[in-house]
Amino acid sequence: MDITKKIRRNPDVMWREEDEALAGVQDSLDRGEVVEDVGTAVLFSGGTMLSINYLGLEIWKLCENRSLDEVVQELLSQFEVDESVLREDVQAFLDELSQKGFILYE
Amino acid sequence: MSNETLPQLQAPLTINWAINNSCNFACSHCYSREDTHEELPRDVLYSSLEKVAKAGVFSINFGGGEPLLHPHLLEIAAFASGLGLRVSMNSNGWLIDQAKAAELKQAGFTKVGISIDSHRAEVHDSFRGVKGSHARALAALDHLREAGITTSISTVICRINSTTIDELVAVALDKRVGQLNFHNFKCSGLGMANKDDLDLTPAEWKDFYRAAIAAKHTVKDLDISLDDPIIALLDARDAGTLVKGSVCGKLSLNIKANGDMTPCGFIPIVIGNIVRDDLRQVWKDSAVLEKMRNKQPTGKCSGCSKYDDCLGGCTARALALTGDMNSPDPHCWGN
Ligand code: SF4
Repeated sequence: MDITKKIRRNPDVMWREEDEALAGVQDSLDRGEVVEDVGTAVLFSGGTMLSINYLGLEIWKLCENRSLDEVVQELLSQFEVDESVLREDVQAFLDELSQKGFILYE
Repeated sequence: MSNETLPQLQAPLTINWAINNSCNFACSHCYSREDTHEELPRDVLYSSLEKVAKAGVFSINFGGGEPLLHPHLLEIAAFASGLGLRVSMNSNGWLIDQAKAAELKQAGFTKVGISIDSHRAEVHDSFRGVKGSHARALAALDHLREAGITTSISTVICRINSTTIDELVAVALDKRVGQLNFHNFKCSGLGMANKDDLDLTPAEWKDFYRAAIAAKHTVKDLDISLDDPIIALLDARDAGTLVKGSVCGKLSLNIKANGDMTPCGFIPIVIGNIVRDDLRQVWKDSAVLEKMRNKQPTGKCSGCSKYDDCLGGCTARALALTGDMNSPDPHCWGN
């Protein structure tokens, strides 16, 4: 896949952040706990539903006319993580979103 | 980054809203015929829709009764879609001609489901008590599709149609619908009164689901949907489904014409009223919803290897026939 291609959220997808779950995750993060398994948002389109965690939500929100590279750079400015690991995770997540039709590449 | 489980949802994703209870038909399996005829005034309905949109609900599916008999359906739907809600409905199709289909599209309807009980016109017509209803339902599917609305066929499976899967599939393909929904028979309202004539035995349900699942796997270009948790017994539930058991009270909620909220259209327990109560609060605090979300195995479910997936099957049916939500689904053919 061309990593310079811009990513767009499919406008047919309905999604929302789950405020309470998100607040709970913030508290856990402050306490240094693992929050990977906690869903903080749901995406829904054409009968397919996805529950995504805190980092998934951050990526989802960045899928607005950015390339993979730009998404990774944005995240690097927010989180202290290894770039190559992050890039792989983001790529895998975007592949899943794309395969489910939740995002489109321009 | 995607999870196996759902977060604690702050509000339902979708609401089935019976905006009226009048109907021009007289179906033998109707669950709502004896329901309230009190309807919310338009301004109250509008503020209720605003509440629902604000709570984060994605979509509203209008039902009834026959929603098209509501004098303001189009305005209400346009108002709801203006709030960002995705709007759909279930109809018997009688009142949908070419002009009406265009108006529905204009009002923001993205999907319309039409009820078809049989591929045979005379069977459908006599079941619905209205001559010519089959022809008009089929015509409605054409008008809707031509207007750019995604269509589906809804069939409540019962004695008159359980062995005609292929024929129903042929109708769906011919009408190029997006989805063919085989609904399980719920035993609520008139469905309960006519249960002995209409409902299948557990063994017959097994045969029906076997055949329906086979069709689902072989028929291309058509989404055949089976909403019954007991198909877990045939290992036919999609792997990775985020919700186990029934979705009622977990993803969806039902609102009646007078604003009363119930977990689903087939469970007559009022848990609040959309005019009076806060939707998120009811969704979070209702003891009835809590019980539905945390079902406990009883009877044969206790030793059943499918329990994690099936969660005792359809809660509405268990409640209607045994008085206990936790009872095994009466349609279950397992031992
Ligand atoms: S025994 Fe209970 S859990 Fe098992 S399939 Fe039947 S209804 Fe579902």
